[in-house]
Amino acid sequence: MDVAAVDSILTKYPETKGNLISILHEVQNRFRYLPEEELRYISKKTGVPITQIYSIANFYNRFTLEPRGKNRVCVCLGTACHVKGAERIMNEMERVLGINTGESTDDLSFSLEEVRCIGACSLAPAVVINEDTHSKVTPKQIGQLLKKYQQTSSPKA
Amino acid sequence: MRDLIHLTINGKDVEAPAGTTVLEAASSAGIFIPTLCYHEALEPEGSCRLCIVEVSGALRPGIRVSCIQEVKEGLVVETETERLQKNRRLILELLLGRSPYCKELLDLAARCGVVTSRFLTGENDDCIRCGKCVRVCRDKIGAYALCWVNRGNQRKITTDFERLSEYCIGCGSCAQVCPTGAIRMEDRGNERKIFTWGQVIARFTLEPCAQCGRPFAPKKYLERIREKAYKPKGLELVDAVCPECIKKKETMPPAVTDLSRMQFKVW
Repeated sequence: MDVAAVDSILTKYPETKGNLISILHEVQNRFRYLPEEELRYISKKTGVPITQIYSIANFYNRFTLEPRGKNRVCVCLGTACHVKGAERIMNEMERVLGINTGESTDDLSFSLEEVRCIGACSLAPAVVINEDTHSKVTPKQIGQLLKKYQQTSSPKA
Repeated sequence: MRDLIHLTINGKDVEAPAGTTVLEAASSAGIFIPTLCYHEALEPEGSCRLCIVEVSGALRPGIRVSCIQEVKEGLVVETETERLQKNRRLILELLLGRSPYCKELLDLAARCGVVTSRFLTGENDDCIRCGKCVRVCRDKIGAYALCWVNRGNQRKITTDFERLSEYCIGCGSCAQVCPTGAIRMEDRGNERKIFTWGQVIARFTLEPCAQCGRPFAPKKYLERIREKAYKPKGLELVDAVCPECIKKKETMPPAVTDLSRMQFKVW
């Protein structure tokens, strides 16, 4: 467990009340998920019962208790994207990455999620990878697209 | 003394202290309103929706949940109109959709004239998601062993990380307040088990009674009682004695016998 990292986050929030979600956000940004040990440590330090923290971590979509890939792939399945064939994009993503929606690849380079409308309906079907939005994606482009992220992420790892 | 509020329930004039709920006012006036998630010792949550009533007068006319609706001066409440019965039947059908074999629900359903549910999901877990167990564990016991996880139809009650709880003290309050028996507690030999439909929440070894030697309570539970109990000055708490032995006065250990002879100052 990375005590120093969690401690440095906790010192930013002397008042726990009302800050728990911000703390969890920072922990998730640091570790890409909410590790159990770290959550138990936060509970001990802040006095918030672990059941309450677990409940919050479970409730919000943004939080995940499973390790997530370095690259977060979100396929929009909102109405407009659905009409424009987002289902096919999703199937192709699953096929290329070899995982199901909501899972991460074994080497933790990619995780695949579905989202419901990202407000980019004019770009449908849209795919968001990390912070970049890709518009009018076709199943053919996907292999190429993912390769780009695979390459850029590998030197860092 | 709090101000008394005057309201009418089913044509009957009822007085209730300000701040109480319609459900409380009705039951103190002897008017029955069905409910599953209400408990007098707990904060109401309004989750089972069975205690719906029709209001008019002091509030915009409509259906309200009586366990979370405060009494208002001049409020007119009806508890058994046709509209309410119809709604209650629908609510029961929805509850049965998930817990089709739950005895308490089936009894209520039979009384309200519900035969089958149109919303069967294939699930069968008896839990109606009323949250009584979470409330009692959190607000009354202070153990924080139970929590809600997930959302929508995935919502359920579990422990932290869905494992055996290290915070549960084995008091069994959750099983006690559960309206449908979805959480249960079982003592077998010297082991106590608390479990839900799909998960064992906690396991304990029971400590023996200091008198008869019968295993009767988990250590954590006894420790909690020692910590919380009112201790008269100059009197040490004696060894843990099971409820049966406490009742038999002649078998009481000396310190407890002393307690019964002691003169307490009324404070």
